[in-house]
Amino acid sequence: MTIEVERAPREAPRRRYVGSRQKKLKGDLFVRGKARYVADIELPGMLHAAVLRSPHAHAHVKSVDVSRALEISDVVAAVSGEDARELTGPVPHFIDPAVFGGKTAEVRCLAVEKVVYAGQPVAAVVAASRNDAEAALDAIAVEYEPLEVGLEPAAGTQGGTLLYEGWEDNTIIHIPFVEGDVEAAFAEAEHTLEDEVRIQRYTTAPIETRGYVADWDTSAESLTFYGACQNPHPLRWVLSHALGLPEGKIRIVAPHVGGGFGLKMHGHPEEALVCMLSRMLERPVRWIEDRRETFLIGGREQTHTFKVAFDDEGRITGLRNNIVANVGALGAPPGWGMAFLTALSFPTGYRIPNQDVQVSIVATNKGPWNASRGYGKEATNLVMERIVDLVAQKLRMAPAEVRRRNFINKDEFPYKTNAGLNIDSGDYHGALDKALAMMGYDDLRAEQERLRAEGRYLGIGLAFELTPEGGDIPGTLVAGFDTTTVKMDPQGKVTVLTGVTTPGGGNETGIAQIVADEVGVSLEDVTVIQGDTGLCPYGFGNYSGRSMLVGGGSAALAARDIREKLAKVAAAMLETEPENLEFGEGVISRRDNPDASLPTETVAYSVLTLAFATAAMVEPTLESTRVYKPDNITHIPDEKGRIQPYPSYSSAVHLAVVEVDAETGVVDLKRFGVVHDCGTIINPTFVEGQMQGAVAMGVGAALSEELIYDDEGNLLTDRFKTYLMPRAGDLPSFEMEHQVTPSPFTLLGAKGAGEAGVGGSQAAVANAVNDALAPLGVTLRQMPLSPPNVLRAIREAAEKGGVS
Amino acid sequence: MHQEDIVIVTLKVNGVERPLAVEPRRLLCDALREDLGLTGTNLGCEQGVCGSCTVLVDGESVRSCLMFAVQAGGCEITTVEGLASGETLHPLQAAFWEKQALQCGFCTPGFLMAGVELLRRNPEPDEAGVRAALAGNTCRCTGYEHIVDAVLAAADGAARERTFAEEPEVDVAAEVVAREGR
Repeated sequence: MTIEVERAPREAPRRRYVGSRQKKLKGDLFVRGKARYVADIELPGMLHAAVLRSPHAHAHVKSVDVSRALEISDVVAAVSGEDARELTGPVPHFIDPAVFGGKTAEVRCLAVEKVVYAGQPVAAVVAASRNDAEAALDAIAVEYEPLEVGLEPAAGTQGGTLLYEGWEDNTIIHIPFVEGDVEAAFAEAEHTLEDEVRIQRYTTAPIETRGYVADWDTSAESLTFYGACQNPHPLRWVLSHALGLPEGKIRIVAPHVGGGFGLKMHGHPEEALVCMLSRMLERPVRWIEDRRETFLIGGREQTHTFKVAFDDEGRITGLRNNIVANVGALGAPPGWGMAFLTALSFPTGYRIPNQDVQVSIVATNKGPWNASRGYGKEATNLVMERIVDLVAQKLRMAPAEVRRRNFINKDEFPYKTNAGLNIDSGDYHGALDKALAMMGYDDLRAEQERLRAEGRYLGIGLAFELTPEGGDIPGTLVAGFDTTTVKMDPQGKVTVLTGVTTPGGGNETGIAQIVADEVGVSLEDVTVIQGDTGLCPYGFGNYSGRSMLVGGGSAALAARDIREKLAKVAAAMLETEPENLEFGEGVISRRDNPDASLPTETVAYSVLTLAFATAAMVEPTLESTRVYKPDNITHIPDEKGRIQPYPSYSSAVHLAVVEVDAETGVVDLKRFGVVHDCGTIINPTFVEGQMQGAVAMGVGAALSEELIYDDEGNLLTDRFKTYLMPRAGDLPSFEMEHQVTPSPFTLLGAKGAGEAGVGGSQAAVANAVNDALAPLGVTLRQMPLSPPNVLRAIREAAEKGGVS
Repeated sequence: MHQEDIVIVTLKVNGVERPLAVEPRRLLCDALREDLGLTGTNLGCEQGVCGSCTVLVDGESVRSCLMFAVQAGGCEITTVEGLASGETLHPLQAAFWEKQALQCGFCTPGFLMAGVELLRRNPEPDEAGVRAALAGNTCRCTGYEHIVDAVLAAADGAARERTFAEEPEVDVAAEVVAREGR
């Protein structure tokens, strides 16, 4: 492991913690089984809810009769969609397509009149126990009138069976990203190729399912909502709208969250439903999702049909790509927006002057999407990397060389892409060289030659990955800034209240490291509180690799305010100037005379107790709330109408080595390496952990994970025995190095980590499998590269007569 | 709950006899979590596949979502809450924290129990052995890398403990904790 020394940031304190491998704060809670997740919350008098779901993917709901369920002892309530309509309003969209000129549809917590996917909630039961509630669902009679089911985007994305009244077709929105003279690029091209990549529907599947506890306080007429959620404040806005309750009457608490990856961004019907039931019954109500329900939420299903123009030297001069995304039914979570960002992110870190990238985002009778780690950008990386490898294959040129010739050079940053993204910094050539050296690329190729002579199919796959991070989507509560309060008590201990949340990645520890350095206390003296709208300043939670970037940035700003006050008071007490002070671990001393020092506690105590004497020059209380808005985001359209929604762009180079068994279609991942650049690193262990987890997710996406529906729209892969995620034995030990090119646009130089890795690893594995099977003339177009898909591709290649 | 169905069963959980009145359909995981308040055992799938709810029953790892409480009558059950000795973490717990073998922590109790069983059966496993032994548990955050590291580190620590066993004053578990600055 090597970490390059980064440039000294402006006016930063001497760093003790930032950049070091600190252990997770309160990690003992987790290993002792003391962490409290939503399913661990027990409130006095709490009831349990279960949800009846539609067995039809598309149907009119003629009637719902809950009367027999209500007759069952232990059942407290049973409600239909009609009942719920009286008690709640629609669930507002996290990102309403209408904001961008698309179509929208009303989403309610329980379906009214019509269902548009199998699994859509139609009724709910509340009972004394979860068992009783689930059993009573059978007693609810629902009469459906089935309608024609459409599971694939209709040809030309027009027509087909219409999901929503008032829509002329099922296309939610169509967005073009066109730049340069594409016609000319293709007319003048020395070479062209066309091909296709079909990405399966898959999902994030955190090990903790969703779950909510709503607790209505009858006397205060207020609601406390405990939920496995990523965005407490924006969720409060949603529930306020749905319930018709002022935001001040709603408190959202995210306890420990057992993984998110986007799935726990809000808009799910059960959020408002559980609150409605609690208010109706004036008792706490808990709903814990079961695993089958978790799998109803999908993501990522897209088909890319592309044409590429390039010259003899391997330089790509033009790209056409027609993307069709099957986003299922339109839900209120921010799922559909992923496909928007897939198109926006082309052509990643390559200089391609002419492009015509179009995306059609189409609703079908599959379950709705929610955000999934990578948020659509993973698909861009997969497809771009397949394109580059196809170019290399056609020219019989080394894949690394084609990348080198098309990469943005490190002296070209900031670099504006065709879609208007302003990439902050990077060194893609450097990262590529590092990755090749780390993995011993030339030796791998020699090994491949040797094994091919034995009839074995070793494949080596490279992938570059660019991940726009820290995004801000205008007109939505997807914000690119965040807020932190830092306060120091009279004993010199620090409490940090932050608007960012953690689903486990460790940002609380990173934020504490930043604050401890800024105010000069030891890490143990910093407590971080997050995920509670009753305590924390308004913030936006967890998405888009933003927690260190803006959570850390705002924490640093607030901590600097505290430091400034401490410095003024300490300077008076030590008879010197603030500039002459050094902040250590709980000690403030004179630079010119380190023996002249004071415990930070003494200074903090003095701020409150000598407010009219020694500390008169500062406003008392050591507390500051600050917002950090990174540079580089701009929502004022440029001359071409483009906006720039991201402050930073992390990058990575992945390399996968696989062996494919051409008899069985089984792919064995033998080695995997990645060089990752997320700018300034706050805690290398956590960055590595995030990347390792993302790589595993990408390997699963590449090889095995798929949500498969039958022809009627029922989900077949609704459990871990059929939805196949990598286990420890399926993966090699990952090889990893860091590269650090700090972002010039963020306070700490950090670029965000956590989202990156899925698309890069998926692409590296896909390129490796294609490389392995190249001697058979195979090109794999359908993801995942599961044994059936691999065997089908081998068979099709054989039918065509092998190598073309 | 229907009174006529109630069964009295006594489980010995983390060394303490715990009599329970449960329905026959009560799952062991629900009895542990809801009747005994031991919520460290987490439920990830309730289908016996993810391994999060793994506990030890008479020393053997068991998915507590696939066993009824009444089947565990008279058995010794160890949950994640029973691994530490008071303030002193079990060496595998200490290693999980030290190596950042957890992120969200939800699958962690199951991995710890599977890891404890592995190290009892094979005190000196190699990496492939650890990966194979943990293949019954799913983690979505870590990619398993740091989990494997932690199990191997705990095995190393235990091997050192055996080497120095003749020096009674050396408390290796305390050393592990001290090394981690707790």
